[in-house]
Amino acid sequence: MGVAIARRVSGYSAAVRLGWAVSSNWTRPLLFIVYSVLRPISMALILAVMYAVITRNAASARPYLAFLIIGTAFWSFIQEGVSEFATGIVEDRGRYHILKYAYIAPLGFPVFLLGRATSKLASAAASVVIVLLIGSLALHLDIDPLRIDYPLLALACLLAFVSVVAFAITLCMTLLAGRDTHGYGEIMAQFLYLFSGAIFPISVLPGPIAWLAALSPLPYWLELCRRTILHGRVYEMFPSLSDGDVLLRLVAATAGTVLLCVVIYRWTDMRARRMGYIDMEANW
Amino acid sequence: MTSSPARIFFKTIVARAYPRVMAANRQKTWLFFDMAFPVVGALAMVLVYEGLHAPRQYLGFVVMGGAMLAFWQNVLWSMAAQFSWDRGNGTLELYVISPTTFEAVLLGMALGSMFTVTIRAGVILLLGSLVFGISYAAAGTLPAIGIFLLTLSALYCLGMLLASLFLFYGRSAEHLANAMQEPVSFLSGLYFPVHALGSYLGAAASLVPLTLGLDAMRQELLPGTPVFIPAGVEALLVALQIPLFALLAGVALRFMEARARNEGKLVTRWE
Repeated sequence: MGVAIARRVSGYSAAVRLGWAVSSNWTRPLLFIVYSVLRPISMALILAVMYAVITRNAASARPYLAFLIIGTAFWSFIQEGVSEFATGIVEDRGRYHILKYAYIAPLGFPVFLLGRATSKLASAAASVVIVLLIGSLALHLDIDPLRIDYPLLALACLLAFVSVVAFAITLCMTLLAGRDTHGYGEIMAQFLYLFSGAIFPISVLPGPIAWLAALSPLPYWLELCRRTILHGRVYEMFPSLSDGDVLLRLVAATAGTVLLCVVIYRWTDMRARRMGYIDMEANW
Repeated sequence: MTSSPARIFFKTIVARAYPRVMAANRQKTWLFFDMAFPVVGALAMVLVYEGLHAPRQYLGFVVMGGAMLAFWQNVLWSMAAQFSWDRGNGTLELYVISPTTFEAVLLGMALGSMFTVTIRAGVILLLGSLVFGISYAAAGTLPAIGIFLLTLSALYCLGMLLASLFLFYGRSAEHLANAMQEPVSFLSGLYFPVHALGSYLGAAASLVPLTLGLDAMRQELLPGTPVFIPAGVEALLVALQIPLFALLAGVALRFMEARARNEGKLVTRWE
């Protein structure tokens, strides 16, 4: 039992290191960070300009700017955790031809996937911090590091990461069925963007879609991120819910997501083995 | 029987354009991918404007920006990064030992891409306009088409320049192309009037033909667009960018090819 756990921990950390190496060893660390933050910073600037054009920087609209910037900052976790992760696994199979070795290794394939996803989430952390810094310094958002409710923020992020990783792992197993699915992780992240409340409240969506979006853990996670960082000085998607209520919904939505993902993962895994998707030649 | 250089040049253009037109439409998943990405991105921005209770005119900005985004993505991924991929799969060395020129190969890629992406961008524009109920000024249609053609020419000449610059990149070519997406979306005002960037930033952003071309088209088709520079001047500047980028692309191609030969980089696979 102890040996098995030690082997899994060792395998997990090897997968994290591998993921980090594949993501970052193509260039120098500084350039890697510059490339990583260009996208979220540009996105935040696009939204800030759109906001300024429409509201003319009216003081009454400042909470909405905070809503946009914090949503964009934390979105990096989804971008890396879903899009980049799915692309990475598809590349492991088609480009580098290593997926089959990871699959037959004794550590267990889900552990390998978990490690790869963890490295993606870790590399997104720098983007989150830098976008928040820009929001604070350049866009004058009133972010005080000493007033952030860190325990609640950490708990919300932990729950969100569990659901994001579960979703991303299931997505990549599904994508293995296709011969040319490079880029589909990006599309999926874009769709999640619409349902997550990252840059607009989900109430803006048409009724049935807004209802579906409310089943996802992402709006509750982002709501808690905003509340823990800005405490009432930010536009709220769920003004009638207390922090505890939002957390409760996040827990329930996360549990539902993980359950659904486990079922789909098992089915896609069986199908992948039966159909030979794990080592399929993907004509890279 | 030998072919004249001019004949080889034009045959190369046709040969390289052919797979761009035919293969792109054979691969149905990419057809979906090419259209879904700009549509979903534009939809997100439309909903941001809805959240801000913006006037409907701004939805037109977003839809036009979304359609033009398809071209910028194509320039980045199917022009700029292409030689890097060709090098990885061994096609680049075949180009080098064949009697044709890189310019002809790049022109073929550009023409094929322009044709394919114009159809996709047209679908995005049509769908977006119908779904969000956007109307355009009929009088501005012809000038807008003229500006559009100028913008495309300048944009793909920039793509040829980038292709030569990307020749030396391995895996970093993909990261570079990825990193250039959002910054250019911001600088070229894909989702807001360029006027909002201010004079200095707007002037710097004008180096990308998309910035001036899109702004000029908006001025023609969406009356009331805040004027950055008058549309006629913008069209003239875009027209000047065509020979400029074409010339720079030629120079960069010669330089990079010579350097790649010296360093043995033309045959390096998947570094």
